[in-house]
Amino acid sequence: MKTSALLVAALFGVCLAACSKESPPSTRWNDAAAAVATSAKPIVTASAPPQEGGAFNKFFLPDGEGGYARVFQQEKDGVALAILKKDGKDVATASIADTRTNDDAKKKFDGATEKVSGFPVIKVGNNQSSVLVKERYQVKISSQTLDHEARKALLAKFDLAGLAKL
Amino acid sequence: MSESLHAVLEELPESSLTTYVLGALDYIVPGEWENIRSLEVMAKSVTGESDEGIIQQVGERAIALYADPDQGYQRAVWLFQMVDHGSTVAGVASALSMIGSRVDALSFLSDYAPKPDTTQSIDAAVKIAAELAAFCVTNGIPGDSVGDFANAVINYGKEEKMRLAAWLALDCVLPLGPDFLGKLMDSVRSFDANDLPGHAVFSKVADFIPGDWMDKKRTLEATVESVGGHMSSLVADGTVTREGVLDRIRQYIEVSDDKLDVVAAALDATTNTFEHTGIQTVARRVVARAYAEI
Repeated sequence: MKTSALLVAALFGVCLAACSKESPPSTRWNDAAAAVATSAKPIVTASAPPQEGGAFNKFFLPDGEGGYARVFQQEKDGVALAILKKDGKDVATASIADTRTNDDAKKKFDGATEKVSGFPVIKVGNNQSSVLVKERYQVKISSQTLDHEARKALLAKFDLAGLAKL
Repeated sequence: MSESLHAVLEELPESSLTTYVLGALDYIVPGEWENIRSLEVMAKSVTGESDEGIIQQVGERAIALYADPDQGYQRAVWLFQMVDHGSTVAGVASALSMIGSRVDALSFLSDYAPKPDTTQSIDAAVKIAAELAAFCVTNGIPGDSVGDFANAVINYGKEEKMRLAAWLALDCVLPLGPDFLGKLMDSVRSFDANDLPGHAVFSKVADFIPGDWMDKKRTLEATVESVGGHMSSLVADGTVTREGVLDRIRQYIEVSDDKLDVVAAALDATTNTFEHTGIQTVARRVVARAYAEI
């Protein structure tokens, strides 16, 4: 019992000595958190229910396209995400999202000059390219290594025409 | 109203016994884990963007997604927290049991505490059941969740990989030895379906696993077999050994006992690797979704 007690005491000793240093909380997100807390607006609303995430799966670029293994990662209300992997490494994230859960997302396509398969496409920040299909579904490739042109080439491999009929 | 995502992340300790242990076990999955403790850093890690406007949009969307209880992310955090708190009890129980079997004056304790191997095996199996349940509520993958989960585990990265490495080292190899998988499977198989509701942690985890009790047991068996089988390659190739794990932990923490089962039980009772890395996993997935939706 003595050894065990000593061991546990030693473990706690390390923790007590090391756990005291904490950084101050950030204030950057306070407004967003407060807004969410007061409005408590659910992601899914009865007036405009989004597509089931699973409905998007068949419109993704096919597994193996361009040498990428496609691994579905998340499938939730109005959104589906897949990781594109090459040689075992994550290269990009492919996603389809229904803007019914986030109407503001459509605004950034105002004044879009480029197109993929006839749909407006824009660059978001440095690492993301996004197509708006049927003024509702946002199809994206996000990658920290592929450039806008490479991302657009992958976006063209989605079944965007099929998605437009959903 | 539950806590905001950014607050949940910021409450993670910068250094604690858990972070020391995770740091000590980093050699199993080198470079995968980073102790991310703020929404801003997580958003930058997921997106690779330095544009503060984009980081702000992603963070705000992530906060909104996490705050909606129907999206499942809060439940996933709860599952990770509960399985660690449950294992604290199991850790204490097996520590007491070992004390009981060694010290005459306290021998009566072993009448009450379960045998350490059984306790540890069930504990380890239930943690994987919780991983499966948390995976399902986080990622929402329907259909054959066991098959999807097994495939997802092979593709695990970052905090998820660190969590499973810690599970392998601390919950399996250290207390049970290199043939841990057989012991885990024996324990799970001998678990009568009628006993499952009596296991406090598993009965809560099981709510998120589909089917009746027999189905849940079969799911647990299949999951432990696939995940344990996948992870045991790290034991077969010599990456993870009892001595190696203990040596690494000794570099960070003074461990004054050579009894591996005692050390394992003490670590189990004093660390929360599932909760710590689980919060980071959930945050990463919420942020990835937010990035897709902005």
